[in-house]
Amino acid sequence: MTEFIQTIVNGLTTGCLYALIALGYTMVYGVLKLLNFAHGDVYMVGAFIGYFVIHWFGGPTALSIPVPLLLLMMFALAAVGCGLLGMAMERFAYRPLRDAPRIAPLITALGISFMLENTVLLLFGGFTRSYQTESFISVSSGIHLGGVTIDTVQIMIIVFSVLMMLGLQQIVHRTTLGKSMRAVASDREAAEMLGINVNRTIALTFFIGSAMAGVAGVMSGLAFDQITNTIGFLAGLKAFTAAVVGGIGSVGGAMIGGIVIGLCESFSLSYVSTEYSDLIVFGILILVMLIRPQGIFGRPPLQKV
Amino acid sequence: MSELAGRPAGHSQPLLELDHLSLSFGGLRALAELDLYVDDKEIVSVIGPNGAGKSTVFNVISGVYEPTEGDVRLGGQSIAGKQPHKITQLGIARTFQSLRLFLNMSVKENVKSATYGHTKATPVESILRLPRARREEREVDALAEEVLSFFGQRLTGYRWNQPAYVLSYANRRRLEIARALATKPRLLMLDEPAAGMNPKETHEVTELIGRLRDERGLAILVIEHDMHVVQGISDRVIALDHGVKIAEGSYRSVADHPAVVEAYLGHDPEALAED
Amino acid sequence: MSGPAEDSEPPSIGVDHWVARSGERRDQGSGWRKWLARAEARIGWWQRLALAAGLGLIVGQFLTNVNLQTVAFNSLLYAMLALGLNIAVGWAGLLDLSYIAFFGFGAYGYAVFSSTAFGTDGSGGAHLPAIESIPIVLVAAGVVGVGIGLIALRLSGDYLAIVTLFVGQAFMEVVNNVDPGTLGGVNGLYGLDPLHSFGGKIESPLGFYYLALVMTVALAGILHLLDTSRTGRAWRALRDDPLAASAMTIPVKKLKVMAFSFGAVVGALAGTLFAAQQDTVFPTNFTANVLILIYACLVLGGVGSIAGAVMGGLVVTIGEQLLSSPNDAGYLFYGLILIALVTRIRPWRKLAAVLIGVVAVGFAAHAIVSAVSSSAVAGSPGSGGWIGSAVRDYVIVPANPATYGNILYVVLICALVAIVRMHGNRRLLAVIPTVYIAACCWEARLIVNPSITTQIMIGAILIVTMAARPQGLLGTPRVETVQP
Repeated sequence: MTEFIQTIVNGLTTGCLYALIALGYTMVYGVLKLLNFAHGDVYMVGAFIGYFVIHWFGGPTALSIPVPLLLLMMFALAAVGCGLLGMAMERFAYRPLRDAPRIAPLITALGISFMLENTVLLLFGGFTRSYQTESFISVSSGIHLGGVTIDTVQIMIIVFSVLMMLGLQQIVHRTTLGKSMRAVASDREAAEMLGINVNRTIALTFFIGSAMAGVAGVMSGLAFDQITNTIGFLAGLKAFTAAVVGGIGSVGGAMIGGIVIGLCESFSLSYVSTEYSDLIVFGILILVMLIRPQGIFGRPPLQKV
Repeated sequence: MSELAGRPAGHSQPLLELDHLSLSFGGLRALAELDLYVDDKEIVSVIGPNGAGKSTVFNVISGVYEPTEGDVRLGGQSIAGKQPHKITQLGIARTFQSLRLFLNMSVKENVKSATYGHTKATPVESILRLPRARREEREVDALAEEVLSFFGQRLTGYRWNQPAYVLSYANRRRLEIARALATKPRLLMLDEPAAGMNPKETHEVTELIGRLRDERGLAILVIEHDMHVVQGISDRVIALDHGVKIAEGSYRSVADHPAVVEAYLGHDPEALAED
Repeated sequence: MSGPAEDSEPPSIGVDHWVARSGERRDQGSGWRKWLARAEARIGWWQRLALAAGLGLIVGQFLTNVNLQTVAFNSLLYAMLALGLNIAVGWAGLLDLSYIAFFGFGAYGYAVFSSTAFGTDGSGGAHLPAIESIPIVLVAAGVVGVGIGLIALRLSGDYLAIVTLFVGQAFMEVVNNVDPGTLGGVNGLYGLDPLHSFGGKIESPLGFYYLALVMTVALAGILHLLDTSRTGRAWRALRDDPLAASAMTIPVKKLKVMAFSFGAVVGALAGTLFAAQQDTVFPTNFTANVLILIYACLVLGGVGSIAGAVMGGLVVTIGEQLLSSPNDAGYLFYGLILIALVTRIRPWRKLAAVLIGVVAVGFAAHAIVSAVSSSAVAGSPGSGGWIGSAVRDYVIVPANPATYGNILYVVLICALVAIVRMHGNRRLLAVIPTVYIAACCWEARLIVNPSITTQIMIGAILIVTMAARPQGLLGTPRVETVQP
């Protein structure tokens, strides 16, 4: 029983990470109808930013600032840094290709993903870096209920993610920016004709989505400790699965999808097999594609002839 | 048996028959209990304001949509719910309201590509250039040239190898018709063939449609907004509004029909109040 | 020249042939491009193929050592891979990211039949002759390709890409994790038989080169025959507009599945050749990195073009080889810069000004910096040979160039991005320092890690090609219908 609950807790944690990354995928797909392959690598860059912030302030064992402030700095800098990176990608790589055939931005995204991974490799080397979280956040802190441990990092991830997702919901449904995003996602030309600054809306969408991925990267470093330049690939694929399962283009869907995928992965790690857990996630994707391609909250596409 | 408005008793089987056809998209009723028929060698025009469901009728007939209720029959055989490429192979070809040419292929290749369903050579046969593949290629080539020559000098000679994207708008429309003809149809459906054309080109289109029926023995179903064209070509006119048939008959009787006038021009309470 | 006799109107566009074909003449370009186009029109496709084959035979005479032979073999291997990828991506317009799995399938397929894999405890095993094992593998690949195709039917564009990517991943996972006794696990399979059948066998690198040459030429021929047949037409129609294609009797679903299947077979064929030549197979031979490499070959050469696929495979492989040797890498790097400048800067005066500026700025900067601080130029450029000597007094390379190089790299990326946004003379002016920075970064950092630099350039190839010349080097520019 305790293992069961522990599995759920672990699944929720990873699920929140996937949800944050999936949100970026789904938002960008909504406004541009483009699957940004390079999004997973933005997450990776965020993890690295967090790592370097730790070392800028003295390193995990000799921090010069209190831990809460450190965490704040990590999140803020990763968010801003990755947000800007996302905006740059959009501005210089995707905007010129907005009316090009579908294959062009996809291949460009592959190229960007490849370049990001290898740039980090060039600049920082391919060896695994460790956050050494346990040096500044005690492992024994957190909640202990029976045999179940929810450590501080996990609590922080879940709480923070939920806050961010709620914040995003507010933005999407209550602000003008959110309205613009929904309008552009619905019909870009019409939105432009109604006076919405489409370029700015898309740029901000990229910023928000990438910022969230960056924060997810820091969280993943805190939770899983080890980061390399290749963590973006698999995480990106799974987050994409989450976005599709929830319904691509739907913000709520990405959140639910992320949790679902996180739980599935957690359960397959605990109860089925460690080696094939990725395949199981993949299998879920195939299943959803075959049975309900629009996902949980998506709408089946109508084609006008 | 369904009742088909305006059809004389003892009529032989029509080529195309729509029987109580209904189509809904979720809550939106696009077509409601539509009865329609086209006889061999007949030219039938479908008119109606925008959004009346005219292109939807084409899409149901050609298999893009499956009807929610009712049936579509070609030569007595039901084709509702069949795949589009199968329906075309059975003898119904169409053009599109907004042109859908294969722009990166040459003019001749556009036409030749439409012969796929009537040829049988397997990839292996094609690779090895076995006799059947070679013979079919020759036949397809000849068919393409013959079909393209139907349009006079416009699409012949050096034009054959030009990519379709260099063609003028009017030539593109002609090419789309030529491509449809290559499928050896019994019924040809033209979706707004005169759209965007100047008076001279419109006149040519009118003649062309007549020639398609006379020289190639086709039944033709036409969606058109330009009433000159409709008047010039139609054996029969059908008017739709909001997915429902509101009038059927000769051009004169339909054009003056009060329901048709109202559909196009709107409801005038003052004029009615005066009566 | 007026139109048909019965038309007594004066010549008009559409009727007057000469006027109507003015667009063609303009597209042909002038100078060497026009000459090339005329030559292409005169020499038939098959003659060109024969010429290429002859060239390959001649090149074979010059492959004097094992290294050269292996490079030549690899370039043909990638040409074959690009040809196979071209079927699904270039002809049918399906973004197939699972392709690498078929390369691996073919390689592992050959491996299990040619080693002790089916035996017990390292002995026995199938050891089939190639003439038996390869067809089995190819047929199996075709069947699996049909399976992938059926899954892909429900998907379009972006979804298709990710799902197929997942398939490729799945293959890697399976191969990595399945019982090491059967598929070798992480250590792969080794000790494979050489390619043997009918009593003869091919073992030497040169032998493999000629075999690859024969197979590539044959493959190109077969694909051309396929391209000009009804199947090729149907694929191209499907790529342009699937909806219209299905309205014109083309069974879109069947053709999509066929595209996957044919591509799978070609990929697997390349795989068997690879396994035979390498003598071993490892899971790491078939990662996503290799897939992107194949894509770069196809994209650079020209998506949709047989000649383009081959050329892309050759160019990228040879380029990769050049990059790995410090003496030769400079040819590629400086050569590329030179080509870029020469082809993009139009009046030759401006080109000369920029080139002179680049040289002058470099030497001046080096002189100034070395006067100020000798440690700043204490390092030596990474290039060897005469290039290295030539740039010694040109580029600024400090004693510990790594961090310096990293910073320059970031600056370079920013500069390139900025240049793209500029126009006219401002842009030309900005090019000068950018080229210098690129040279310094190259000598200080990039050339030192050729494998990473290769990867970076692969990514750059994809980005730049799509932005500047989407049809690649030998492809034809496409027009897209702006339809849903």
